[in-house]
Amino acid sequence: MGYKKIKKDQLNTFLSELSKDYTVVLPSRSGGQVVFAPWDGKNTDFLDWYKNTIIPPKALFFPPVEEMFRFRKGEEGYEIEELMPDKRQQIIFGIRPCDARALKIIDMLFADTYKDPYYLRRRENSLLVGLSCNEPCDTCFCASLDISPGQSEDVDILCTDVSDNLLIEAISEKGSNLLSEMSGLSDAGSEEESKAKEMRKSAKEKIARQINLSGLQEKMRSNFENREYWEKASKKCMACGICTYVCPTCHCFDINDENRKKEGKRVRSWDSCKFPLFTRMPMENPRHEKWRRMRQRYHHKFEYYPMNFGTIACTGCGRCIRECPVNVDVTEIIGGI
Amino acid sequence: MEETKWEPKVVGFLCHWCSYAGADLTGSARMEYPHNIRIIRVPCSGRIDPMFILRALQNGLDGVLVSGCHPGDCHYQSGNFHARRKFAVTRKLLEYVGIEPERVQFSWVAASEGPKMAQVVKEFVEGVRKVGPNRLFKDEIKDGE
Amino acid sequence: MENKLKEEARKLLKEGKVDYIVGYGKGTVKFRTSPLITNKEEDIEGLVINPFIANNLSRYPAEIKGKLGIVVKGCDSRSLVSLIQDNKVKRDDIVILGVPCEGVVDIKKLVEQIGADIDQVKEIDKEGDNLIVKMDGSKKTVLFGDVIFDKCFGCEYPTPLEYDILLGSEVSPRVELEKSLKKIKEFEDINAPERWRYWKEQFSKCIRCYACRNVCPACFCERCFVDVNIPQWITTYGSWQDNLVFQLIRTLHVAGRCSDCGECERSCPVGITLRSLQRKMVEEVKGLFNYETGVDKDAPPVFTHYEATDPEEFIK
Ligand code: SF4
Ligand code: SF4
Ligand code: SF4
Ligand code: SF4
Ligand code: SF4
Ligand code: FES
Repeated sequence: MGYKKIKKDQLNTFLSELSKDYTVVLPSRSGGQVVFAPWDGKNTDFLDWYKNTIIPPKALFFPPVEEMFRFRKGEEGYEIEELMPDKRQQIIFGIRPCDARALKIIDMLFADTYKDPYYLRRRENSLLVGLSCNEPCDTCFCASLDISPGQSEDVDILCTDVSDNLLIEAISEKGSNLLSEMSGLSDAGSEEESKAKEMRKSAKEKIARQINLSGLQEKMRSNFENREYWEKASKKCMACGICTYVCPTCHCFDINDENRKKEGKRVRSWDSCKFPLFTRMPMENPRHEKWRRMRQRYHHKFEYYPMNFGTIACTGCGRCIRECPVNVDVTEIIGGI
Repeated sequence: MEETKWEPKVVGFLCHWCSYAGADLTGSARMEYPHNIRIIRVPCSGRIDPMFILRALQNGLDGVLVSGCHPGDCHYQSGNFHARRKFAVTRKLLEYVGIEPERVQFSWVAASEGPKMAQVVKEFVEGVRKVGPNRLFKDEIKDGE
Repeated sequence: MENKLKEEARKLLKEGKVDYIVGYGKGTVKFRTSPLITNKEEDIEGLVINPFIANNLSRYPAEIKGKLGIVVKGCDSRSLVSLIQDNKVKRDDIVILGVPCEGVVDIKKLVEQIGADIDQVKEIDKEGDNLIVKMDGSKKTVLFGDVIFDKCFGCEYPTPLEYDILLGSEVSPRVELEKSLKKIKEFEDINAPERWRYWKEQFSKCIRCYACRNVCPACFCERCFVDVNIPQWITTYGSWQDNLVFQLIRTLHVAGRCSDCGECERSCPVGITLRSLQRKMVEEVKGLFNYETGVDKDAPPVFTHYEATDPEEFIK
């Protein structure tokens, strides 16, 4: 299927049509923050200002806090009330290529030997409509991680903003089925297609930040015991959880039972290897010192994850660089090894 | 509806040496005071962490009374003086964020002041009754509330 | 100032008067600076002082072992003094390099003023009372006083009160308290249920990253109450209720220690208006006990002390 297009000022009708069968979630401004939120049925002005969200789209599949089930002590043992995410289909409209890749990356974990029903159900019920980046941020370095800001194989449908039009391209089968049912789209001409190609190329060229990945795993392994390096790298770190919580691929969680009298609930919530209390509940945090925790985060992303799943767990989205209160920069840390 | 049956449920954190003894006295003297209060004895008003107050409200109690010895009478000499500073800012903060001041009350009641205790509790419960059930920490804020 | 700082910092390291210099270096995000902590003379060249030195570095002395030469602005110096009052930092262990401060740029405000993304800005120069903002092919002039943090408007001590070396000449305070407290006053004007609803909404966003606590120099408990699980005061995961209780208790714990450095609000990734809580308490502590954070290193901390005449008309 070739490219389709829609006038940007017609996006409204397109989204309305999608809203019939799906909950459409897209970038919106709420409380001074850019977040993915259900579409209000009107606004499409995000096309003018949206770059990316601070809280990554992983939160739509793996929420910061999730009730897994409730339990009650009845006459005959425990009664369990399951709390699975509902089956409603949703469309994530406007996900960036890096974040779509991030979902692919954490899919590997959530669908590994243990299949995480909460995450996977939401993934199965979702369709990703990507939006290519024409103006990458200063903090982006996705290109170093084999992600193109203007392209994506990780979405179902990809949109590219080409002056007055949005070029729409089906990537997956799911996406192509959906597009074929949509009215209001017209075929794009070759002129627009070549324009889109150009924009993609230039977007990629605009990315100035880089990291060098060649031989990285080797280098990391031999640097592992280099305490001096990690102490220096972590000196200014405040040991908060920002970098892990805004990271689209960080996926650690904690599970707690909350009970009162005869009933309670089991809750899963984000956790961060940057916290001294991380893993303290089941056993003990072996990483008392800050530098060990700092090392853990980078090794996990750039060494262990590739070992386990064959891919680096970083997409170069730059969130951790931008949001860190003391500007700890992953590219500097990895680059310095 | 349920509303008409609603009775305030409040907690009192009373220091062992004065206010708790004061409350005891109302009992032994058979003075009446509202049954709406549940009393928790603490060693000294200095022991009362603002956390106690917030947690009580979070757990749905309608009001919190905090009471200790009169200044100068604290068994530990300065417990209530320190507490007084803490309470002063706590009260300001709670009011600032929108918690009705009627829900949180501080008082000094001596061991000999049984009647005062009864009076304090009575007035406090009436104040709480006026502001109504504590829905502050409920998830849904319904329209018109 | 910058040159003087480099000179002094080098000297301190060379003469062995300090083990580390804690200052600001160039950041890797547009216009931001980043803490520069070093024991190497060759790194000193990287020190900067400019209108973007937002971080409050006084968090570090309690953590880094050894003697430190530390760069502080007015507000930061008061955090440091407060830590000295609380016996968390020894005066003799630090050499204070004071920066007389004209205010720090709030990048969010700057972005609003220029109406363009910060990534589009190439260069920013301070010329007198103006900031000259250079973008691709265009140039905008904004008033410095329009883009500094709210805290700076009301800053009564822009020149550090406590220092060993002052890096420039004294700066006279701005007297724009009203501007500084504008948000708080506006907030107080709305009714109680609305105020509560406001915080409910704010803390529904909180992701419990604890940045507000971890960047705050006044948050120095060895084990924070949220990390205590026997008994568990609040759940480890976030619900708006617990998030709010967490922040209210934190606010009370830092009352009288908070210097209104603004780091909590600046760091919060989801943009919760934390300063409206913290700064409010600064006002209350001053009003109730006539106490200001960190203006006198020999004064007892406000809550370890009392007067027989302390206000108590609220106690029945
Ligand atoms: S966000 Fe920055 S300060 Fe916070 S834990 Fe990560 S690296 Fe450290
Ligand atoms: S490590 Fe940083 S740059 Fe990489 S994916 Fe996570 S937040 Fe983005
Ligand atoms: S509050 Fe004062 S000392 Fe602190 S940054 Fe602002 S002007 Fe400078
Ligand atoms: S910094 Fe903000 S999001 Fe993080 S814990 Fe504090 S209030 Fe919550
Ligand atoms: S509470 Fe906020 S403003 Fe006050 S000292 Fe701590 S970080 Fe600074
Ligand atoms: S013992 Fe009663 S207040 Fe201290």
